[in-house]
Amino acid sequence: METTSAPLSVGTIAGPAPLLEMTDISKRYLGVQALDHVDLVVRQGEIHALLGGNGAGKSTLLNVLAGLVRPDAGSITLSGEPVSIDHPREAQKLGIVTIHQELSTVPDLTVLENILLGNETALTAQGALFLHRRQMARRVQPLAAEFGITAAELWRPVAEFGALKRRAIEIVKALAAEPKILILDEPTSGLEDHEKSLLFEHMRGLQRRGVALIWVTHHLDELFGLADVATVMRDGRTVTTAAIATLDQGRLVSHMFGGEAAELLSIPGAAERPADDPVRGRPRLRVTNVSRPGILRDISFDLYPGEVLGIAGLAGAGRTELVRALMGLDKISSGRIEVDGRVRRLSHPRRAYRAGLAMVPEDRKQMGILPEFSVAESISISRLGSVSVAGLLSGRKERLLADSYISTLGIKTPSPREKIRNLSGGNQQKAVIARCLNTRPAILIFDEPTQGIDVHAKAEVHRLIRELVDGGTSVLLVASEFSELISLSDRVIVMNRGSLVGEIPDIHRRVADQGIDAVKHLIIDRASRAEQ
Amino acid sequence: MSTTRKTAARVLGIDGVPIVTALVIVTVYFSATVPAFLDGEGLRYYLNEEVPIFIITAGLALVIIAGGIDLSIGAVLGLSAGTSLLASMHGAPVILAVLVGVGTGAAFGLLNGLVIVKLRLNDFIVTLGTLNIAAGLLVVLTDHVQITGTDDARYLAIANHSVLSVSSALVLAVLVVAVLQAVLVKSAFGRRVRASGAGASPALVAGVDAGRTKLYAYVVSGSLAGFGGVLLASRLNSVQPGMAGGYELSAIAAAVLGGVSLAGGRGAIWQAAVGGLLLATLKQGFRLTGVDPLVFSIIIGVCILVGVIVDRSVYRLALTLGSPASVSPRPEPARASGGPGR
Repeated sequence: METTSAPLSVGTIAGPAPLLEMTDISKRYLGVQALDHVDLVVRQGEIHALLGGNGAGKSTLLNVLAGLVRPDAGSITLSGEPVSIDHPREAQKLGIVTIHQELSTVPDLTVLENILLGNETALTAQGALFLHRRQMARRVQPLAAEFGITAAELWRPVAEFGALKRRAIEIVKALAAEPKILILDEPTSGLEDHEKSLLFEHMRGLQRRGVALIWVTHHLDELFGLADVATVMRDGRTVTTAAIATLDQGRLVSHMFGGEAAELLSIPGAAERPADDPVRGRPRLRVTNVSRPGILRDISFDLYPGEVLGIAGLAGAGRTELVRALMGLDKISSGRIEVDGRVRRLSHPRRAYRAGLAMVPEDRKQMGILPEFSVAESISISRLGSVSVAGLLSGRKERLLADSYISTLGIKTPSPREKIRNLSGGNQQKAVIARCLNTRPAILIFDEPTQGIDVHAKAEVHRLIRELVDGGTSVLLVASEFSELISLSDRVIVMNRGSLVGEIPDIHRRVADQGIDAVKHLIIDRASRAEQ
Repeated sequence: MSTTRKTAARVLGIDGVPIVTALVIVTVYFSATVPAFLDGEGLRYYLNEEVPIFIITAGLALVIIAGGIDLSIGAVLGLSAGTSLLASMHGAPVILAVLVGVGTGAAFGLLNGLVIVKLRLNDFIVTLGTLNIAAGLLVVLTDHVQITGTDDARYLAIANHSVLSVSSALVLAVLVVAVLQAVLVKSAFGRRVRASGAGASPALVAGVDAGRTKLYAYVVSGSLAGFGGVLLASRLNSVQPGMAGGYELSAIAAAVLGGVSLAGGRGAIWQAAVGGLLLATLKQGFRLTGVDPLVFSIIIGVCILVGVIVDRSVYRLALTLGSPASVSPRPEPARASGGPGR
């Protein structure tokens, strides 16, 4: 119906007939029109990008396709045949497989068991009664190996691995099911650059085999050269469907967010920031020879007031482990941590908060939010004293506190009493940031702060970090995306397999002099060198 | 879906509405069909009998909301009744006798909490162990026979004093529930209890000492079991081995009926207490109808299952209606894998 704003280029549609047609799909939740007559047409062997801001309706649409949500109206046809997908099993039977944005592996099962989970039929020999694990392991192994999962690792429980490997496991699991339609919901979140390109290669491979890929991403720069067609959604409607070749990033952004978007995204870039270093003075945080056996080796660095110190490194370099140790979440075996010149024993997060540290953790769903808590309760939890009167929690003060953060950070929620689980990822993240700010931290740690949130929310988080630093807060930033790390940091330290292997001062001047690619290469070089 | 159904679902989704509705229905039913049900004397007697269960249900609900489970409360209640009554029999003043009972319970609560939190052992197994320890100690204490009784009239008055024609024990039980509910909702500790139960890892990241919070919850639960024991000893003026065995199961049933999620993080003390009241009312009603006690345990079992199923479906419905953005196929998130014992 509204697929008119850019004509489909002949190159992409001259191919096969539509594999999947979703027509006039509508879904209404209590007062909210989540989907409003949405159309989606995907052809065989097509990489189809599904774009839109948080709350545009992408997830609901994909949930309809995955059999998790039943639409109020509309029809779905697969290879021309009408189908009704009432249950996830139905979707699976039709060859529709989803790789979710959030990690959904089962920690207590082995890697192999996770890969097999739900894939038993696809991987069992015809007519076999029992699962032959070794045989299956042999079958899965070549695919797994491509994603860096060794034969031995197939037999280890998933709980032993970090977010990165879990992502790889999910991808292998999805590919093992040999899908006809593969839905990738932010598949690259948490992946390193080289793993991203590996995934992209696989996407191309699947495309050549005739698999249709529906790809949700907030990273618009990834699309070009990979996706064939983009469908943009906004406020539960299809705004446009067009061949990627006819679009550019700016056009996409204005489709996604309407008019005001362009100015929102023109946040001051790295090069425009003042090149001079912040006035240094005494370090606010001084870390000396911090070690944790097998994880962290003799880490020493300083963090100054009003600076963003980026921690760069590849997966497994120990970045998250370092900030967890600073927050008292993991014990260190030796080393000293000083805050404002005083030695602190940060053996528990409670102590870390008292010392003036706060952290926005990675993996928002597992570590960040308490899903049962309301937005207001989520904001106050780290400093309940701020909402107490005479030792008792005051609902009024809590609401006022929440209201003030909701308006200053622009948290989109129907009310402070809404459960935080019902908010979109970007807004959940803002609530977690509000919780940290409410502790009035002198040192704020961000671990992958923009993972899985849309460009709009991402820009807001970036701006917020800059404002904090301008106000004198010190920020420690872990980000896997090098361009994000470089554009936000004043200084970068590089970690490699548990050790600190280098420091790059004056990031902004360097970027101005040599260009961002040179700085990126410098970091990657340090981070990936095999010897110390 | 019709609007009336939606409205009904939303009203039922309000905290406490399902359990209170169930209690009203059951009460009205028995009042109408069993003439003796409304007899004041019988009702009072029966409620008095249930006071210890109300009290441990409150403490247990706190532990469950904090993400634990306490199986030892029944046995600890029995043991505390023994220590307290013996203290009084040996001439301890009433204050001291009460403190001995509550202290016994608190000590067990502390033991439970320390072992579970510091050694990171599983709540279920640890409290199953202390259940047996407490039950065994009561046998040792009573030397296999019933012990009776104290002459201290003031000790006996703790539970039997009449306040506005209601027993003091019942008043105290109501007070305990009210205070603990206020603690859960209005105190920082109560908020931390909910946070710890909702997810130990995210609570830790937010700076909440989930371990310490849980430890305190166990101490509260143990102390209340001790206090329940004092009230029991005061009412009966006798203690025998095996006393109060199985009370913990009634308390768990009451808490779950009252909508306390065994996964932690969700529930209210007063609703758990109303759950206890519902169970007590059912028991009393069936007893008066003359149903064989062994049969009505079946009926009560069925009621518990139905109650839990209804509670779960109402919760799910409320969740779907309330959340336009995300419809999760699993409304109750799996427990954090980093919990104790893992």
